[in-house]
Amino acid sequence: MKFPRDPAVEKHIANMSRRHFLRGLGACIALPALNSLLPARMLAAATAAQLATTATGAPLRTAFVFFPNGAIPSRWWPTGGTADFALHDTLAPLEGMRKNIQILGGLEHANATAGNDGGGDHARGNSVFLTGVRINKSATDVRAGISIDQVIANQVGHLTRFPSLELTCDSHRKSSDCDSGYSCAYQYNVSWQSPTTPMTPENNPRLVFERLFGAGAHGERAAQAQQRMRDRRSILDSVMDDARIMNKRLDKNDQAKLDQYLTGVREIEARIEKAERFGPNVDPDEPTPAGIPATQAEYVELMYDMMLIAFKTDSTRVATFVLGHDGDNRSFSEIGITEGHHDLSHHQNNPERVDKVAQIDRWYVEQFSKFLTRMDNTMDVDGHSLLHNTRILYGSGNADGNRHTHDNLPLILAGGGGGQLTGGRYVDHGGQPLSNLFLNMADQVGVSGLERFGDSTKRLTDV
Amino acid sequence: MPRVAPIFLAFAVPAFLGAAEPALSDFTREIQPILQEHCYDCHGEGNRKGGITLDGFKSDAELRDHKLWLRVLKNTRSHIMPPADESVLEEADIEKLANWIKRDAFQLDPANPDPGRVTVRRLNRVEYRNTIRDLMGVKFDTLAEFPADDTGHGFDNISDVLTISPMLLEKYLDAAQTIVTGAVPTRPRVVAEQPVLGRMFATTRIESPVTLVADGGSVSNETSKPAVAAAVPTPTDDTPAPAPTFLRPAPAKEGNALDLSYYTPATVEYIQHVALDGKYQVVADLGAVEKYVDDQFDYNRCRMIFTIDGEVVVDQEFVREGENKTYKFTFDRQWQAGEHKLAFEIRPIGPDRDQKRLLRLRLNQVVVRGPFDQRHWVQPKDYEKYFPKPVPSSAGAREKYARELLTNFATRAYRRPVDQPTVDRLVKMAQGIAAQPGGTFEAGVAQAMVAVLASPRFIFREEEVLPLRPGQANPLVDEYALASRLSYFLWSSMPDAELFRLANEGRLRANLTTQLGRMLADPKSAEFVSNFTGQWLQARDIDSVQINPFAVFLREHPDPEIEHALESFRRLNVVAEDKRTPAEQKEFEEARTIFRKSFRTPRPQLTGALRDAMQHESEMAFAYVLKEDRSLLELIDAKYTFLNEDLAKHYGIPDVTGKEMRLVQLPPDSPRGGVLTQGTVLAVTSNPTRTSPVKRGVFILNSILGTPPAPPPPNIPPLEEAASKEELAKMSLRDTLALHAKNPMCRSCHNRMDPLGLALENFNALGQWREMDMNQPVQASGELITGEKFANIQELKRVLVTSHRRDYYYCMVDKLLTYALGRGLDYTDTDTVDQLVAKLEAAGGRPSVLLQGIVESVPFQQRRAARAVQTASETAAPALPNG
Repeated sequence: MKFPRDPAVEKHIANMSRRHFLRGLGACIALPALNSLLPARMLAAATAAQLATTATGAPLRTAFVFFPNGAIPSRWWPTGGTADFALHDTLAPLEGMRKNIQILGGLEHANATAGNDGGGDHARGNSVFLTGVRINKSATDVRAGISIDQVIANQVGHLTRFPSLELTCDSHRKSSDCDSGYSCAYQYNVSWQSPTTPMTPENNPRLVFERLFGAGAHGERAAQAQQRMRDRRSILDSVMDDARIMNKRLDKNDQAKLDQYLTGVREIEARIEKAERFGPNVDPDEPTPAGIPATQAEYVELMYDMMLIAFKTDSTRVATFVLGHDGDNRSFSEIGITEGHHDLSHHQNNPERVDKVAQIDRWYVEQFSKFLTRMDNTMDVDGHSLLHNTRILYGSGNADGNRHTHDNLPLILAGGGGGQLTGGRYVDHGGQPLSNLFLNMADQVGVSGLERFGDSTKRLTDV
Repeated sequence: MPRVAPIFLAFAVPAFLGAAEPALSDFTREIQPILQEHCYDCHGEGNRKGGITLDGFKSDAELRDHKLWLRVLKNTRSHIMPPADESVLEEADIEKLANWIKRDAFQLDPANPDPGRVTVRRLNRVEYRNTIRDLMGVKFDTLAEFPADDTGHGFDNISDVLTISPMLLEKYLDAAQTIVTGAVPTRPRVVAEQPVLGRMFATTRIESPVTLVADGGSVSNETSKPAVAAAVPTPTDDTPAPAPTFLRPAPAKEGNALDLSYYTPATVEYIQHVALDGKYQVVADLGAVEKYVDDQFDYNRCRMIFTIDGEVVVDQEFVREGENKTYKFTFDRQWQAGEHKLAFEIRPIGPDRDQKRLLRLRLNQVVVRGPFDQRHWVQPKDYEKYFPKPVPSSAGAREKYARELLTNFATRAYRRPVDQPTVDRLVKMAQGIAAQPGGTFEAGVAQAMVAVLASPRFIFREEEVLPLRPGQANPLVDEYALASRLSYFLWSSMPDAELFRLANEGRLRANLTTQLGRMLADPKSAEFVSNFTGQWLQARDIDSVQINPFAVFLREHPDPEIEHALESFRRLNVVAEDKRTPAEQKEFEEARTIFRKSFRTPRPQLTGALRDAMQHESEMAFAYVLKEDRSLLELIDAKYTFLNEDLAKHYGIPDVTGKEMRLVQLPPDSPRGGVLTQGTVLAVTSNPTRTSPVKRGVFILNSILGTPPAPPPPNIPPLEEAASKEELAKMSLRDTLALHAKNPMCRSCHNRMDPLGLALENFNALGQWREMDMNQPVQASGELITGEKFANIQELKRVLVTSHRRDYYYCMVDKLLTYALGRGLDYTDTDTVDQLVAKLEAAGGRPSVLLQGIVESVPFQQRRAARAVQTASETAAPALPNG
């Protein structure tokens, strides 16, 4: 299968990228020639299984975006019917994106409720969000479950340079204890490679960019990235030998720790192998981001852009992004709210506090809406928009932050999923585990053999 | 009296006990009567308050509920249970209960404590940074390059939660490469390189501020002063502005660099002498720096002109360039021996006005390389550090040399002798690289060093144990492991040469006390101070805590006009400008004018310098108690603290001048002294706009008394259910909390937290003293749930160090032992903790006794026997590390 090479389309993309792309980086990013964006394997993939691939043969991407502390329900939920719904205050910024989103009602995480574990709804809100399991209440014995993004990455990760990408805008971590006897590992990680290994997210846009494309200025990066691969390869045998020597001397608990090391080594090996197969890296014509921007709006925008550029260059097809960990007490002075978000979220029905929380909820939705717009204005290899070829679940692990409820979670499923998703709808799923949706999402990218996930009971019927 | 428990042998216990359920019968006879009298009203005979029952046990196994009895032990010892107003448990009964719990419920043998299980620990990012510093002499900023480590039990050195994600592994491999590439020379001789640091440049011209005064203003009389920090009057909208002169910073040293302001016309120069004719290269390295100020449009631009021997080689305009941008300009020159002038000139461009962003060009250095003629090449920097001898010419001798270098390096990096096969492998690797085209002996050794730093044996702290001796239940860790346990506890870094030497000679354990003293005296123990206080007191968080000084100011200086303006702004700011009605637009603009004006009012700020000073205060107070071996009680109640002028002013303490932090004796009756009234603790336990008596109360319960409250339930009932909105508006924070605590669900915990937190209400969210909050006088008096009354914070501190001294000692032992061991404490540690508290009590709270006790304790000295006993032969022949 071949894609049309239309100079006008290329020019259009270049223009669009000039206007919309990576504003946070200060300028534009020149698109690599279309054919370099179209990896050889994709053509092969089109004839083989449809793994993480749309009907046209373009990559199908999946993202999970997490926002903290739930949302004021009365301001979040739309009114009206499935198609003729009217958006309320909080989601109003998405009006222009209406046809690209589904508002999902009636999905829940029973395992995020207290159960026999008592307090800690924020720790659970975070780490149950994509795992759907009951996490072990302990400050040290960390056991969650594999998260859905990692289930997908395990099956489609071999198609791209990076199996998955984990991002966060938590620039600082509070020291000392986290939520009610839970290890902080639960509160800062939504992505879990295994029940005991969280996928630590990256919070510095510079490091994300350098990891994706190599360090240095434009023009030097591909060579730098290649050199990095050579350097890594030169020491892998040696560190594997050391690991073997060490492994013999360790007991079972210790071996589990060393296994994390070995998993990482295997992933590097796979990356080196892919680097050879896929050829030189894409090198965006852009300065490397300098670091964490000064304002939260710029920071969030730049991180969204990192996700966008990773998808666009097909560096990965799976990403998670934590806008702020659950329980985040950041203040939003840029919109005149000086109180802490978490503090406000326990509003005790004080109308002023409720109003402020709703404004924060809306601020997050605004940033999300801008990101969707940029995705929509970015053309993918098949002529569709990048948004068309992506699925993005935006949501929180708490529903009502004041009461710490975990049913009827605030969730939006955005993007076209390569034509598999029908947007412009408000769908009430009537009280089912969110894990059920994850089964559908896995199915859509061609993940096989996933009969159950977390606390799933069945697949959703209307996605 | 409790009988002696059987010797603790986990797998053997049940077999030894012939009698049916002996623990249960003991319990019924000895313990139940106490519980019946004091506890069963709520926790027995069908009562299950808080889900706890202390009767109805059917078997020994059921009785040995470790979690349950650990709670009983803690709550009775700290007199939380039974509640003071319901029943009083005599000390003898508390002791009896404690003994029964330890011996029968926990089955602990005080003569043979269980060392506990500790998982192999990877270095956290602080330890990694320090280890690289001590191993290589290189600074590597892991805080920027590595993701934050997860924490458990309040610390980031807990082995169970230190995981390795694939991304982190990738970073470890790349860091190893970066570190070695930056430090270890790969050739024996290179082109000579002389860095001319920015601070070595001399300012030869700085223009008078006369020409810089804004249009129409009168001229300042001050002329040609190097540092021109002109007064900045605050113009108001309605009064005509006096002639403003603007901040014109002179070129200023910033570390090794020189900062050149965009706004000051100046020239800086350096005369470079070269001894030989030849080809040279000049590389200028500059960066752009700005102080970020929100909502400021900065007009300023400048031209930077770089000349070499008078010839202009760069003439470039700079605008706002963003943070951390760097520029390199490279020029080749054919130079004669003699003097050569390097000069940078700044010419400001743009309207002359005061600039808030303080844009600067930072001249890092100019590197002069040359002459390029190979005859004049020199040995690279640090060559002898890594290659102390010349590289031999024969292949055999080279191999021997490589073996020697890599044995030394791997031994130090792995912090224990390295085995022969590993050295063989590293040598082979080095030889392979050296044999490649363009390869050198040095490059080969360097790459093998990368492999060592990327190895799990560097990233993890591997521990070996000594063979079990007869009568020992658990083995001692070997001397190398002990050396690392000590050094990572007290230095957050690898053992030094002396610890290595003692371990190698097998004499470290015998010299523990001397070594402990030496290590605490070493400057590296500052790491223990900052990492421990940073997390115990959350003093680290002062760096990033968000406090809104304006909101704090308004609480103490309420101003309805400003509050109304803020409310208008917040409401209308979300409405797009073209959607506002004219009335709304007017309201919006008025609001903006009002609080713009109020923004100009000077008020206390939590500046970076003040935050630093606060953090130092916490660290220095802890270090002082530690180094001078004063009672740990002084961390709660002291007549002194550590201040500089800024911090003293912030606290309202007179007669402290100068920037440096020093010991200050406080005025009598000063509320300061001790951690509770340090800026760090006061700020990090506040919300962004106000104090949080609840968070402060929780902090004291958790970090001082060691009795954390249960987490709050969700869905806190609205206060409106208990009082009208009007009534609420008039209430102080104290009143609303009291209202809140009327709810029985909230009361049990709030009665514990609130009096503690409210006692600190005289300190605002910035840590400053105040008398009023929202037009109400602050009231700090209260009564603890355990019955002690206090009038103010001074009295509360005294209550804490007298009637709650033991709680505090238990808490400190718990925190320090957790930090030292890198694991959470379990019921099996009860004896160790009790023994340490007893020692501390007997020694009047002196920290030396506690630290000594910790490093001598069973958990610090031993490992739980969990695998087949190690044979000594697996350890390779010892090799002495360098140095």
